[in-house]
Parts: sequence; C-alpha cells; structure tokens
Amino acid sequence: MTRKPQSCLQIEAELIATATGDAQPAATRRVEHHIETCGACRGEFHRYREIEGVVGALRRVPAPAAGEARAREGLESRLADLRSRLVSYRVFPSPLGHVLIARSEHGVSLVEYLHGHSDVKWSRLARMAGVEIQEDGAEIETLYRELLEYLRGDRTRLEWPLDLRLAKSDFHRAVLRATAAIPYGAVTSYAGIAAELGRPSATRAVAQALRWNPLPIVVPCHRIIGTSGALTGYSGDKVGLKQQLLAVEGIQAKGKRSDSHVARNTLYHYERNDQHEYCLPTCGDIARRPIGPVTLLASRELAGSLGLVPCTACRPDLHPLAA
Amino acid sequence: MMGAQPFETIVGAHHGEIYRYLRRVTARPTEAEDLSQETFLRAYRAYRTLGPDANVRAWLFAIATNLSRNHFRSEKRRRVAHQAVSLENRDADPEGPEAEALLGEARTLVDITVRGLPLKQRLAFIMRKIHDLDYEAIGRSLDCSPESARAHVFQALRKIRVGLNGHELPPAGGVERRASPAQSTERRGANAPPSETSPFSMERPR
Repeated sequence: MTRKPQSCLQIEAELIATATGDAQPAATRRVEHHIETCGACRGEFHRYREIEGVVGALRRVPAPAAGEARAREGLESRLADLRSRLVSYRVFPSPLGHVLIARSEHGVSLVEYLHGHSDVKWSRLARMAGVEIQEDGAEIETLYRELLEYLRGDRTRLEWPLDLRLAKSDFHRAVLRATAAIPYGAVTSYAGIAAELGRPSATRAVAQALRWNPLPIVVPCHRIIGTSGALTGYSGDKVGLKQQLLAVEGIQAKGKRSDSHVARNTLYHYERNDQHEYCLPTCGDIARRPIGPVTLLASRELAGSLGLVPCTACRPDLHPLAA
Repeated sequence: MMGAQPFETIVGAHHGEIYRYLRRVTARPTEAEDLSQETFLRAYRAYRTLGPDANVRAWLFAIATNLSRNHFRSEKRRRVAHQAVSLENRDADPEGPEAEALLGEARTLVDITVRGLPLKQRLAFIMRKIHDLDYEAIGRSLDCSPESARAHVFQALRKIRVGLNGHELPPAGGVERRASPAQSTERRGANAPPSETSPFSMERPR
C-alpha cells in the first residue's frame, strides 16, 4: 500500500469540505489548485461530491407525518398542563422585609412577606400542591422596581395583571376585586366592602377572605380597617406593616399595635350623598359615624379625582387640613 | 426579557423540524415523541428569559441535542439506537418511481455508517448535513467549539467514504441537488462558484 503524499494529507479536510459544499472561499481555491495536478485527490473529490448527492437525497426524505402529528398533539396537552401549573418567583429585600413576588402566565399570583426569611422554602409557594415553581430572573425584576417606587411614594398605582386563581372561592375573588378598586389614599372598612358586595352581614367573611389575601400591597387590603377606625390586623400580627403602608399614602395612625387607630381628624370624610360632597372631619357628627358608610380620604386632590366636590357647609376648600 | 413572539408561534414554526431531527437520532417513534415534547416543555420554562434577538431555532436544537445525549447516556439505549436508527425515517413512504436502485443502495449504506458513528459525530453530521445548522450552533449544542463541531462532521464524512468503498454511486450531477433557501453564506459562500459552473465539478475521475 502506498502512502499518501504529505500535501494530500494536509489538504484532505479542505477537500472534503469543498466537495460537500462546506468550505471557505480560500480553502476552495487551494483545493482547486491541488486537484489540478493530483489525480488521486481529484478522484477523492468526485467521490465526496457523489456522497454529498446521496446525503442530499436522504435530506429530502420526508418524516412520517402521522408520528409528527401525534407528538404535536401530546405536546399541546402537556404544554397546557404546564402552563396552568408553572409559577415563577423571586425574593427581594424591601423596606418591609423580604418579599416574594410570583407570577404565572396570566399575571401576578402571589406577593408574600417572608417575615425575617429570604428563602423560598419559607413561602406558601413551597407548600402548594400542583404548582411547579421556578426562580425567574429578569421579568419579575421590573415588578420589584415598581414595588420599590410604590413603597417610596414615587408611584401610586401598581398596574399589574393579576392572576386570582390562588383565591379559594368566587366570594374570595369578589372581595379581592372590590379591595383592588379602593383608590390610593382612601380607607374603608370590612363592613363597607361587605355592603358593596351586597352582603352587609358578611363582614367577618370579608375579613377572613382578606386574611388570605395572596396579593397584599397590590390588592390593598391595608386600606381596609374596622368601622371604628381600628387598624385591626395585618399579615398575622404585623399591624406595623399596615401603618407603614398607610403612612406612605398620607394616612397616619395613632396608638400601638392592636390599639392603633387611624387619625380621623387628619382625613377628609365622604358619606354617600346626592351632591357628592366631601367634608372636613369637623362637619357635624361625621367623624363619629362608622367607617364603611364613611370613606376616609387622604387629600383634596384624591376627592377631586373621584368626582367629589367640597361640602358647602364646612368648606374643606377654604379650610384645608394641615398636610 | 420576554421572548419576542408568543410561544405558540415557536411551536408552530419549529415543532416539525425538531421532531424530525429527534426521529433521525432515536430508535423508536415513541422516543422521538417524548424527547420532542420534553424539548418544548423545557423551552417553555426558559422562554421568558430568552433575549429578543435569540436564534430560537438553534436554541431548540441545543435543547433537543442535550436531551438526546442524556437519553443515550444509558449504554443499552445507545445499542438499541444503533441497531434501529435511520436517517431515512424508514416508516416513511417508500421513494417514488424516480428512485434509482443505485441511490437506494447508497442511501442504505450511508445510513448504516451513520448509525455506527460515535454519538457526537452522528449528532453533528445530522445537524449539519440534514438540518443545515451552522457550526456555531452545532458547537453550542454539543458543548464544543465550532472547530470541533466541524471536525466531527469531517470525521463522519470520512467514515461514510470508507463505508462506501467499492460501491458505485450515482454521479454527483445525476442526483437532484437540494434547493435550499436557508443556506448559510458560509455553506455556499458568495465567492464559492455555483457547483454546476465550477470548472472541475462535472469531471469524472480519471
């Protein structure tokens, strides 16, 4: 057996690449030059050209359509299942401690205070059945930035798409929706929400539903207090968080822990009336009337944005409350 | 950053090709079915983090290739695959009347050789020669450099050449050339003369 000359060995890779349509122009020129003078390599070149032809024929053979359709059908069904289960999350530091934000394809599904922890294993998410969780990088970061702006008071709305599937019932969802509609800087009561839902006796059920609010801050359950003005509870016994969130919106509370009340004398009052008039807390006995029927408002601008006008008796427009 | 297009569009555009790729790589249709489903489920999980300019097709091939390599970690599966895998997707309809006996025989021989290639060479060969991926993408799929990917294809072609020793093949011009709008510039670069007008392309070996 004769050995191939060194020049033929050196050019072999380029020869194969050129013959099979895979070479750079410079390599093609070198190969052309070589096979002009080397008969053996010219033969090899044509052999590889023929092989490329055979491979081309293989490429054109269609795959069985039936198998492909079956695979696609199976995929659609597994994908639908995954979509309904997949939740991505991230844990962030915030002025309120570590907060977990989770979202599904439909929207934000969970905001959770981790109370001194920073790992997902302390989250409700880790214990939920039928949910596949994955840590998410970039997308939830945007939500986090907006949340920080909100907590700094630089943003008054979190216009996030919400996924309320973690709510336990239709009633629960209805309570969350009614709560989400309370504007920034306004306060009402559990009884007020119950009345709005047409179930005035369901005050306790409303309170219970908000105990399980999966989306605190975004669904602002901190804007709901007792009819007397007591802050009642928040996220277990974290009434301090409720105070902080209300303070960001310009609503001050007095007293400590379970005893804390909103300072009604620093807020405008609105009780439904045909003239849509809002009042100073000193107007008649309005400051003693229950919250719920009465909505508390942090500012005249807010009252104006809700279409309310100053009361013609107490004239909040002439005697604004000290900021 | 969210992928620029809805995931359904990605499934619609690429499912067929990824399935065919896996069908060529695996032994049984059910394996290709499972692996292609797993490819897209994995892609869906990671899809939100995909940049808007990402090459989705190359990315899907990389996922499918990774899954295949894990699948074939089991030696037994690999042996079964070597026995049964076929570039031709043999449960496909047989070739039409234009099929030539010579070509059919050559195809079978190529098939047998490819079946016996080491896994990386086989995957690289199929990605390059059947699915026309560039070496950059093949390298990413196989966790190697584009140069190594090129070397895998080169080795595969050499072995196919040896496998066809002594067999007559249809002449290069006699086999219908592939019409491929998706050819990379490198593949048949602007400076490379079209093969039919190349001064030496139609010559027969002396």
